[in-house]
Amino acid sequence: MAENNATEIQAKSTAATIMAVLAICGVVTFLVCLWSDQPQRAWRAYLINFLLWSAMAQGGLLFSVVLQVTNARWGRGLRGVAEAFAAFFPISLLLFLVLFLGRDHIFPWLHMEDLHGKEVWLNVPFLFARDLAGLAFLYLFGMLYLLQSLKLKRICNNQAQRRDDLLQTRPGEIDAAAGTRRRMTTLGVLYIITYAFVLSLIGYDLVMSLDPHWISTLFGPYIFIKAFYLGIGGIIITAALLHLNAGHAFEVPSQEFHDMGKLFLAFCLVWADFFYVQLVVIWYGNIPEETVYVISRVGHAPWRTLAWAVFGVSFVLPFLVLINRRVKTMPRMMLALCGIVLIGLWLEHLLLVGPALDHGTARLNLGIPDLLITLGFCGLMGSAVSYMLKRYPELLISGEGRS
Amino acid sequence: MPGTREGTMAEERYVMGLFRDDTCAARVVRDLPAQGFKVVRVHSPVPSHGLLDALQIKPSPVGWLTLIGGIIGFFSGFALAIFTATRWDIMVSGKPIVAWVPFVIVGFEFTILFAVIGNVIGLLLMMKLPSFKGLKYYDPRCSGDHYGVLAACGDGQQQSLADFFQAQGGEVQVFTD
Repeated sequence: MAENNATEIQAKSTAATIMAVLAICGVVTFLVCLWSDQPQRAWRAYLINFLLWSAMAQGGLLFSVVLQVTNARWGRGLRGVAEAFAAFFPISLLLFLVLFLGRDHIFPWLHMEDLHGKEVWLNVPFLFARDLAGLAFLYLFGMLYLLQSLKLKRICNNQAQRRDDLLQTRPGEIDAAAGTRRRMTTLGVLYIITYAFVLSLIGYDLVMSLDPHWISTLFGPYIFIKAFYLGIGGIIITAALLHLNAGHAFEVPSQEFHDMGKLFLAFCLVWADFFYVQLVVIWYGNIPEETVYVISRVGHAPWRTLAWAVFGVSFVLPFLVLINRRVKTMPRMMLALCGIVLIGLWLEHLLLVGPALDHGTARLNLGIPDLLITLGFCGLMGSAVSYMLKRYPELLISGEGRS
Repeated sequence: MPGTREGTMAEERYVMGLFRDDTCAARVVRDLPAQGFKVVRVHSPVPSHGLLDALQIKPSPVGWLTLIGGIIGFFSGFALAIFTATRWDIMVSGKPIVAWVPFVIVGFEFTILFAVIGNVIGLLLMMKLPSFKGLKYYDPRCSGDHYGVLAACGDGQQQSLADFFQAQGGEVQVFTD
């Protein structure tokens, strides 16, 4: 038992060290890029990664929130993993503030002569103020929800311990648990509403506004659906890593992997559907200022290849693979698949952001620095999640207590 | 769950054990072959994972029929859209006659429709429905709150089978024909 604990701690600290090293590598690469001749590229990678990893954290917590709000009985073992993603919230808020320093490189409309009246919406003070306020609200609700969830776990653990001592549960404690659950549901509903609103805002402000003459009403929903898709992927990756880690006691029943796989497939379809719904409207309308956005991404090199790669990797591949029932119950396969989809969605962010930042470029301009910056963000996310799981080990105990 | 391990031989007698809970019924299903009896059929008022595990039924091929239906539907949807578009080939607002983007909708809907039809056909085939004869050995309590395990034994062994069911805590229905 003691030996087991020792290997467990060792495995944990090795993982934490790797994550910390990755994060430092990323920061160093970013700074080097910034002070060399390619600050533009550094900020592009920064924006993509900020959007991607923040979305994963926001969508990850959303999974637990949705289960709470719908009174779901399944997925108890995975809710803790989902809640651990909230550890990235403070980091994400800081990263957003850093984005302010790169505003000249990421907002092409700052250098445009005429915005045709859009100056009212697209100006730096208002944009940063509203997005910061939005994110602050979202993260506040998320953190409060997390606090209540941890409190509930503590109450239930106390109850379970006392039951071992053959003592009765005190009536006051049942009230406390029920009250905490009620507060969780209220905060959960607030989180969901804010999630939809704020992620749409982020989508409009940080992605869509890069092409200030292009508008698509459904772009916001597209962004928050994608974030949930990403979040579920992130939960599967984390759960599979913990499950496969022999030194760790955490285990996910194959039935729960199966359920998560089904949800992942479902949101793969919803995400693709939201893309298609936008596309079909633009296609029918055939208005040049709308079609140019699609044509520049799907019709012209170098983005054309990237667009088809994203379609294949993030939609066709998971769709075809996940039709199979057994694959969904195999942690290794799901780990690989979700990893590939994650890379696909990184490229999808590049596809949305890239053409706006590098007009008429002949090359994708992808390379080692982008990879290192991405790994740096991955390290930040990994550190945050592993810190959270180490600090609150009760997150991984699925015995949340049935009411 | 009717229709599992059906098959009749001459000189077989049928006895049904009726149990109030599915763990009991599942245990009986597991133990019967060791006692030298054959499980013919199990009736369950509600779906039960315990019984499914005990029966060790092969995975159902209905999923494959659903998949085949879906694939056929995907292509027939596009085929229908393309066929009808080419029958009336007037260009509208500069769109091509065979336009892939909107045809995805037809393809998608047909995928779902045909997958559902494939699924229903699969269900009917696997459950051998519709069946007009009714079940020969059946007890109405199986439609109430009892799990019925129908077992077959050789002529003259009915009593020992009935005793076995009773020893496991079940009620017994012996069929004489």
